Amino acid sequence: MNTRFNRRGALARLGGILAGVLALPIARTARAAVQRVFVSSGAARGYDPSKHKWLMCIDVNKCIGCGLCVEACKKENGVPEGPYFRTWIERYIIPKPKPGSGQTRGETLVDCPNGGMHGFPEPPLPRDQIEHSFFVPKLCNLCEHSPCVQVCPVGATFDAPDGAVLIDPNYCIGCGFCIQACPYGCRFLSPVTKTAEKCTLCYHRITRGLKPACAEICPTQARIFGDLLNPVPDDPIQKFYEQNRVQVLKPHLGTAPRVLYAGLDKEVR
Amino acid sequence: MRRFQMPPQILRLVLLTLAIVGSYMVARAFLTPATFGQYGWYRGAALEELAARTPVYAGKKACDECHSDILHKLAGDAHKTLSCEACHGVSRTHAENPDVLPVKLTGSHCIRCHEANPSRPAWFKQIVVKDHYSGKCTECHIPHQPTQSP
Repeated sequence: MNTRFNRRGALARLGGILAGVLALPIARTARAAVQRVFVSSGAARGYDPSKHKWLMCIDVNKCIGCGLCVEACKKENGVPEGPYFRTWIERYIIPKPKPGSGQTRGETLVDCPNGGMHGFPEPPLPRDQIEHSFFVPKLCNLCEHSPCVQVCPVGATFDAPDGAVLIDPNYCIGCGFCIQACPYGCRFLSPVTKTAEKCTLCYHRITRGLKPACAEICPTQARIFGDLLNPVPDDPIQKFYEQNRVQVLKPHLGTAPRVLYAGLDKEVR
Repeated sequence: MRRFQMPPQILRLVLLTLAIVGSYMVARAFLTPATFGQYGWYRGAALEELAARTPVYAGKKACDECHSDILHKLAGDAHKTLSCEACHGVSRTHAENPDVLPVKLTGSHCIRCHEANPSRPAWFKQIVVKDHYSGKCTECHIPHQPTQSP
């Protein structure tokens, strides 16, 4: 038997190894393709993320600052106790200008005691010194170009095809980059799971045809939730567009949020 | 003329490179979750895992199954925009088993929204509680039909 190491034999062995290595990803791709068929047909729950585009409209003129949405969000999503919020309410107080100051308005005060969950106390100013005061509910702005997604080093946070910006809790390493990247402060590091958490638009509710908890519970319908791809008869989203001129938060950042506000003030960031 | 011969150090480098790339591809094939890349650069199964949570709030539709009479009354008056669970609290257990009653309501539920606060919009009905009345809200107002008196 010729056991000498020759070029032909070496090349053949090398070719064998290469073919084996290449076969693995091919097998995997085939497996994924099979799974994809299963997933799309296995959508027995009837939810296909590519057939929806969710958005939230918020009418600041309707928010009464009761904090029911914040409480509902905490209960629905098991948000940890303490200063951790997936949605919260800010109170803006714009005082009258000091006489002779030459300004149109005084310096804006913003407060948010416990996320507004238990309502708001009397403002720190006497009523006659307040020019404007209003509540602004905040949540994930559902950016089209999400800064938080761009910075995630492990692909744990992503823009779902239906417009929700979600976090894969099994993949998140808790590095906190996304928390710094979010210009709206909508993320926090959970002290329980040690991973980043944020508003999921109540993904477990919207995939079952329910409204997110905050929109469900809001007593004045200051929050309107809807689907751009599946307009319903007498669509509240359409009505919102017709009745209001809308605005987004921090438009100069180019994040293209899909949370639209009506009745904002320039002081709101 | 001399025949070209692959210098042995180059051959070793090529083999080493192939070994590194090959082991990377094998490791990648085994370590990447199956649904990674299904919709984009993330694990597609995460969507279903997030959707798998059980909702806590039952929703107005669930209330409508048994209490459509009350919902009808509600829809005809000023509290029409209210969700049942906004006042009655999380009622999923009640929706599944009607014997478990939702939380008992008190006047603090009314005050939570209707206590006067200058930050509240002017169109919204507000009262200064201590100047308004010291008794129970329900003595004069029907919660489901707030513009009517009992």
